[in-house]
Amino acid sequence: MSKIECNLNINGKNKTVNIHEDKPLIFVIRDELGLTGTKLGCGLGQCGSCAVLIDGEKKNSCNVLAKDYQNCKITTIEGLKTDKGLNKVQQAFKQYNAAQCGYCTSGIIISLSSVFLKKNDPTKKEILSCLEGQLCRCGSHASVMKAIDKLKAS
Amino acid sequence: MPLWISCIGYESYRQIKSELIFKMNSFYSGPSIKLYGKLRNWFNFDKNNVLQVYSGKIDIGQHISSTLALISSKITGINYDQVEIIKLDTDISPNEGKTASSLSVPDSGSAIKAASLSLRKAFIKYSIKTLNVNFEDIVFDNGIIKDIKSNRSISYWDFAKTNEFNDLSIPEKFDEKEIREFNYKNDQKIEIKTINDIVTGNYEYVHDMVFPKMLHARIIRPPNYFSKFVEFTNNINHKLDELGINLLIKNSFLAILSTDEYLVVKYLDIIKQNIVWEEVKKLSEDTVYNSLKNNNKESLLVKSGGEAFYENIPSLKEFKDKNYTTLTSEYKKGYLMHGPIGPSAACAIFTDKKFTIYSHSQALYDLKLSCSEYFKIDPNNITLKFRPGSGCYGHNGADDVAFEAAVLSEKFPDIHILLKWTREDEHCWEPYGSASLNKLTGVINDEGKIVYWSNEAFSDTYMTRPSNTELHNFISYNFIINNFTKHKSTPKTKAHMGIHRNLDPLYDFGENRLVKNLVHDLPLRTSALRTLGAFSNVIALECFLNELAKTKNINPFEIRINHLRDERAINVIKNLKDHMIIDIQIDGSYRGIGFSRYKNSAAYCAVGVELKVYDDLEIKLINAWISVDAGEVAYEDGIKAQVEGGFIQAASWSLYEEVKFDTKEIISKDWDTYKIIEFDNIPNIKTSVIDQKGFPYLGVGEVVAGPTGAAISNAIADALGQTVKTMPFTKEIITKELLEN
Repeated sequence: MSKIECNLNINGKNKTVNIHEDKPLIFVIRDELGLTGTKLGCGLGQCGSCAVLIDGEKKNSCNVLAKDYQNCKITTIEGLKTDKGLNKVQQAFKQYNAAQCGYCTSGIIISLSSVFLKKNDPTKKEILSCLEGQLCRCGSHASVMKAIDKLKAS
Repeated sequence: MPLWISCIGYESYRQIKSELIFKMNSFYSGPSIKLYGKLRNWFNFDKNNVLQVYSGKIDIGQHISSTLALISSKITGINYDQVEIIKLDTDISPNEGKTASSLSVPDSGSAIKAASLSLRKAFIKYSIKTLNVNFEDIVFDNGIIKDIKSNRSISYWDFAKTNEFNDLSIPEKFDEKEIREFNYKNDQKIEIKTINDIVTGNYEYVHDMVFPKMLHARIIRPPNYFSKFVEFTNNINHKLDELGINLLIKNSFLAILSTDEYLVVKYLDIIKQNIVWEEVKKLSEDTVYNSLKNNNKESLLVKSGGEAFYENIPSLKEFKDKNYTTLTSEYKKGYLMHGPIGPSAACAIFTDKKFTIYSHSQALYDLKLSCSEYFKIDPNNITLKFRPGSGCYGHNGADDVAFEAAVLSEKFPDIHILLKWTREDEHCWEPYGSASLNKLTGVINDEGKIVYWSNEAFSDTYMTRPSNTELHNFISYNFIINNFTKHKSTPKTKAHMGIHRNLDPLYDFGENRLVKNLVHDLPLRTSALRTLGAFSNVIALECFLNELAKTKNINPFEIRINHLRDERAINVIKNLKDHMIIDIQIDGSYRGIGFSRYKNSAAYCAVGVELKVYDDLEIKLINAWISVDAGEVAYEDGIKAQVEGGFIQAASWSLYEEVKFDTKEIISKDWDTYKIIEFDNIPNIKTSVIDQKGFPYLGVGEVVAGPTGAAISNAIADALGQTVKTMPFTKEIITKELLEN
């Protein structure tokens, strides 16, 4: 098993990690960098709990290799905060207590951030499209929809 | 226990008792106070300006810590933000049983309410005495009492250092007026305790724990429950050894461990391709519905009150008079999985002959005793500490993974072991909610009165939680001892247990014939999934009720109200009707309703659904209305979150879910092969919470599921002109049923 030096830009900081070249991005984020807000749900790219932003686009991190994202800007849930505090999606989720167990929530917030950080008033189709593959088992969907309504109204 | 309590069941007795006491203008402190009757059992004031509250219940997605903090805050007068609920730790927390059966607020909420009231009363009395002032001369603000004349003050934190605090007992009941005087608001908006950490990614789940030199672990699972380990091939075990990756082998229980989690994941896949298992027995021989009908079974008679008895089952009655219409029907449901988004996990360490286990199990105290039995070690040398997991809806993989982590930690002492189940583990190895079959016969007369009702429920057990006498209920225990015979369950008889939960209708149907059938030798592992048998029993009841009503052209609201005596039940249904009428029905949509009082002794809930069935038989949910009476409202938004979440989960069960398997293995291994609801089919939900001020708390974690399935089914029946009697309501199943009729 050969190891490589992998240069990543995560949450605005350059990080160099010495990793096995077949290591998926999620294990680098969680285990090498300690950013455990990104959750391991299925390891198959099906549930969305491991979603991160790659150059502003949502991407599941459990089934892609870290070495392939060396020239990208990677943002995890911990990196969404701005100098002014929580980003607007996080604020709306907080205001509406839009989580139950919360395990899927960071993936959903990342997902919605990929849309709402680009557009103030995305269409319903755009929102549902970004939420495709974001699974929640507790049924927090109703409170998430309230948070989305708040985001669209503000 | 007196005979009459045995007859109605302990839960019903408890409910009746608390309601009776209410009617005598008293508030009942609940069962936890009987065991933990001292103030110091519930409060800790070691942190400055923080009220720490002990509870035996855990946060499993229902925000119980926020509700309990709110209850205590309202009564003690300490700001909600300064009230902390201490995570359950078996060394210091009260043992309040499992966090299950919608009893968290009824048990822990009532106990903390009583403890908080005792604390407040004692604190005021102590302050007045110590300051030597009159009640009129003090101001009470956020846990501090101040003498307005002298400016001297005393806080709860001062009071907690006294012998009075240490010795004070909590009464078993209070005058209801004492609670009412606080005049608190139930619709208070609060930020739930966990939300800030959740939205910032800082909420620590057991999956996220890190310790020096910690070993990550996965279990090497066989193809099915009946597989015996034979050997590794291609020297894979030696290759792993060379790579510094650990293997643990105890008969057919195998695990892989390494400090690098990814190596564990990677080599788990490689090992699975280099291992030989012997199939001791096939997973299944027939379809589950054939097995439900044909396998050996034990049949018990369920009587009014919901308890089951070993008595002769009376034959079905026949009503030949032309004024009576008789209908028969069969309703079927497949296996359902808990399927948390995060697979089960646990962390354990064995050091100095003591275990410390971090777990998200609902039953940490039972787990402690089970581990004590398995390891033959004094329970005092085992500590279970709650750490959050992914959503929990019953007896899932949490107990199994905690037991497995403990087994691994014993073999690798002094090192923390973090064991996570894989997605396939979670999908294929958790104990499912059982498949079931309900056979119904009903007789309605020309006046629209149902005079005879028979409901026979056929199902596997919902009660296989592990205990110190039932270690075989840990799935891995059987592989450790190479035991591949399926343990035979015995029927549970108490009121509304398992298969016969909500089999006894709340409606007055004249004569009831209720039969619980525990069917043996069914293929898949089952246990408690949210509502146990109530989901299928309520759906069968509520859909069949509509079928009978239809024969006499009776409106669904009318047939229900006409057969109910319980005013609160009638009120909930009327409330639902009022809310549904306001909203104009969308063209081309159909509506259905369902109702239930969970266990006939907990919360009341009525659900309405509006949906469309498209030409390709795709079903889209449009609107949903929920009316719920859960007694006194402790935290309205918490109740709404629970019932709306429960609605969505039950909608998912109804529309999409069924565990598939063949003779060798479970096929539903991931989210592609076991579909659940997504954001594109979430209706607009309106929830109305009826506050019964002063009445006992009734939990809401489960009540909505049955009425939801029934409302969806009844709306589909309205759309198609016939009831679809097999769940889930997929295109394939609907097509099959339409073709058969």
